[in-house]
Amino acid sequence: MPEELDYVIGQLGREPNRIELGMLELMYSEHCSYKSSRPILKILPREGPRVLVGPGYDAGIVDIGNGYVVAFKIESHNHPSAIDPYNGAATGIGGIVRDILCTNCRPVALLDSLRFGPPRKGRTKWLLKYVVKGISDYGNRIGVPTVAGEVEFDESFETNCLVNVACVGIGRRDSIVLAKMESPGDYIVLMGSSTGRDGIHGVTFASKTITAESEEERPSVQIGDPFMKKMIIEATLEAVATGFVAGLKDLGGAGLTCALSEMSFKGGTGVEVELERVHLREEDMTPYEIMLSESQERMLFVVKPEGLERVLGVFRKWGLPHSVIGRVTDTGEILVKYRGEVVARLPSKLLAEAPVLHRRAKRPRDLAKALKVPKPREPKDLGRALVRLLSSPNIASKEPIYSQYDYEVGIRTIVKPGDGDAAVLRLLEEPRAIAVKADCNSRHCRLDPFNGHAGAVAESARNVVAVGAEPIAAVDCCNFGNPERPEVFWQFSEGIRGLSYMLEGLGIPCVGGNVSFYNEDERTGRAVNPTTVVVTLGLVEELDWVTTMAFKEHGDEIFAVGRTYAEMGGSEYYHWIHGISGGRPPRASPGRERSSMAIVKEAIRRGLIDAAHDCSKGGIAVALAIMAIKGGLGIDVDLGRIPRSGVGRLDELLFSESYARFVISARPGSARELRAIAERHGGAISRLGRVVDSSELFMRYGGRAIRCGLGELREAWNGSMRRYLGEL
Amino acid sequence: MREYLVEVIIQNKEMAKDPEGETIERDLIHRGGYDSIRAVRSGKYLRMLVKADGPERAREIVVKMCNELRLFNPVVHSCSVKVRASGRKGGD
Repeated sequence: MPEELDYVIGQLGREPNRIELGMLELMYSEHCSYKSSRPILKILPREGPRVLVGPGYDAGIVDIGNGYVVAFKIESHNHPSAIDPYNGAATGIGGIVRDILCTNCRPVALLDSLRFGPPRKGRTKWLLKYVVKGISDYGNRIGVPTVAGEVEFDESFETNCLVNVACVGIGRRDSIVLAKMESPGDYIVLMGSSTGRDGIHGVTFASKTITAESEEERPSVQIGDPFMKKMIIEATLEAVATGFVAGLKDLGGAGLTCALSEMSFKGGTGVEVELERVHLREEDMTPYEIMLSESQERMLFVVKPEGLERVLGVFRKWGLPHSVIGRVTDTGEILVKYRGEVVARLPSKLLAEAPVLHRRAKRPRDLAKALKVPKPREPKDLGRALVRLLSSPNIASKEPIYSQYDYEVGIRTIVKPGDGDAAVLRLLEEPRAIAVKADCNSRHCRLDPFNGHAGAVAESARNVVAVGAEPIAAVDCCNFGNPERPEVFWQFSEGIRGLSYMLEGLGIPCVGGNVSFYNEDERTGRAVNPTTVVVTLGLVEELDWVTTMAFKEHGDEIFAVGRTYAEMGGSEYYHWIHGISGGRPPRASPGRERSSMAIVKEAIRRGLIDAAHDCSKGGIAVALAIMAIKGGLGIDVDLGRIPRSGVGRLDELLFSESYARFVISARPGSARELRAIAERHGGAISRLGRVVDSSELFMRYGGRAIRCGLGELREAWNGSMRRYLGEL
Repeated sequence: MREYLVEVIIQNKEMAKDPEGETIERDLIHRGGYDSIRAVRSGKYLRMLVKADGPERAREIVVKMCNELRLFNPVVHSCSVKVRASGRKGGD
């Protein structure tokens, strides 16, 4: 951009040369610089007693006590996956694993949030099949389990699928390493794959919309190498254990340029590197290409001089290529030499701190109309509607997808995909566990970015609470259209306000994130639904608290926690049963969330609860049905007892997607104690009925009754994804 | 109509990484003492007989087939098609 070039010339007092210009262009891309998003993102709460490292580093790090820390982060790999789903998704996993690794935490779990167009379309099938294969091939081969995720289908993701991947690592508090260069004289060592011409300008690509020509812009997609990654993981942890590694960063977008400038800027130092030392894939590469290459599977180590031989010895032992490319200096500059000549010389600060842009935001004009839709007629047979809703791609069991993943390798996974609302992973060293879940309802977000995004935070926190954990931190991955369009930027700023409102209200700090813009189809100008995936991390202090969603025993009593409102906008019921995409989505309330979560948490800790499940897509009816299907038990409930306000219709009571609600089952005779807990936390709870030894859902409401056979419900819920997609 | 012997070689593009070739080079060839060998690349080789009105036409058919049926992934692979033997008279 011309104003950026003027700024650079003003700062440098000269024109940058071609290499410098290339470096600056990459660092000033939206992907690296967050130049549009930074002014908005700063409102997110990021402080907390457990937070050790917050946003701005490769991963957020939180203290979980007893000397242990958890590092986690989420990233998007949308653009590469839309062009080459297999390699795009695989290298997405590779990248996020490196982000965790470079804090010196061992990667122990992966999560993936995927969004595609309607599943009956050929392109969707192709994308989904190969994204899932890319994730499973790579994840399974490096021995890191894929433990949780979510999949959403909506027309807006037809051209631009969203592939967001998160990684969680566990480490020791006293051995965290940061991506910093603090001591002049330290050696800079590049380790891992050779540097090739692949991926040059990948970040520029990620900062553009996809066009028909994108398939031809081929250098942007890379080929992952999971076996090399596995060796890099082990060699990195061993090298850091020598005590001589002073800083560490993975090479991702903008490659060497980004790593050198960010690490030296954060440490207040400079660097001097000699590019002829870099190990290359092709011999005739130019300094420009070496500085800009985004080849995968590379790590940059900062090594204390006295330990250089020890660290290189570790790399040799693992047979990993490496090169000592330069040293840390005190100049505050990136000095790049090639065969004795200076080819680039730029201040670290100039590279690492792109000038921010203040984008214009404007509420889309057609939104008000979308919020006001006439109510559809209530179907006569609501049992039928429930069965159909369970077969909707957004609700149906994703078992055909997650069964492709190895979710057990590493023997930590105690709540597996499909068993609970979140994945639970135990610490191997002591009887505690962590819980993680990724969530977003992008239809809610489209209709009301503020409440929808607040809802994404709330939903992932509820899911973590439902398995027995206390939410302690979150990371977010924002996926939006072109931020240069004021309507998109409005969605973004409203969305971040919503995240902030709920994180603040629940006392959950945001410790990291990623922003992906330009997720739109250039031909049609259609952007993806505004989608910020929130991953909440929870801590389970006692393994006895771990709770799953299946009803366990007949005779157990079923309770609804939280109040139901007639909040039907953006619901799966409106979409799938009535073909309506508008309406006003649920309103988010931190107060109600806090009450409902406190009730469930306390009830779990007192050992009262046998099963817990949050209400989200498909509302309370779908929650009850899934708990029954999972348990292989029937239920007999009176829907008239559901705590509610202003709900006049039975279909609304069944399928409203109001936030702040759970369904739980408890041992008979717990009602009084549960009511006392609810009263203390200022929340609503009500006994709906009981789990019965039958094979039907029997739901009464006034004089009406809905009966559904468990077999029919199970078939709709379990069998539908295979019907849409065939075998994956 | 004659039949032509056509060869298709699919490999990762020159600029792309080739984990299989690298592994063979590093862990088999160099470990086995053959230090004079380097820059190993792996790939997939297909050989076929094609009935056509001439070698150019045979090549065209195979190129079209490779593109249409996605025998290779154009994002990361290069695909080269060569007519090896000018054919013999086709059967039946």
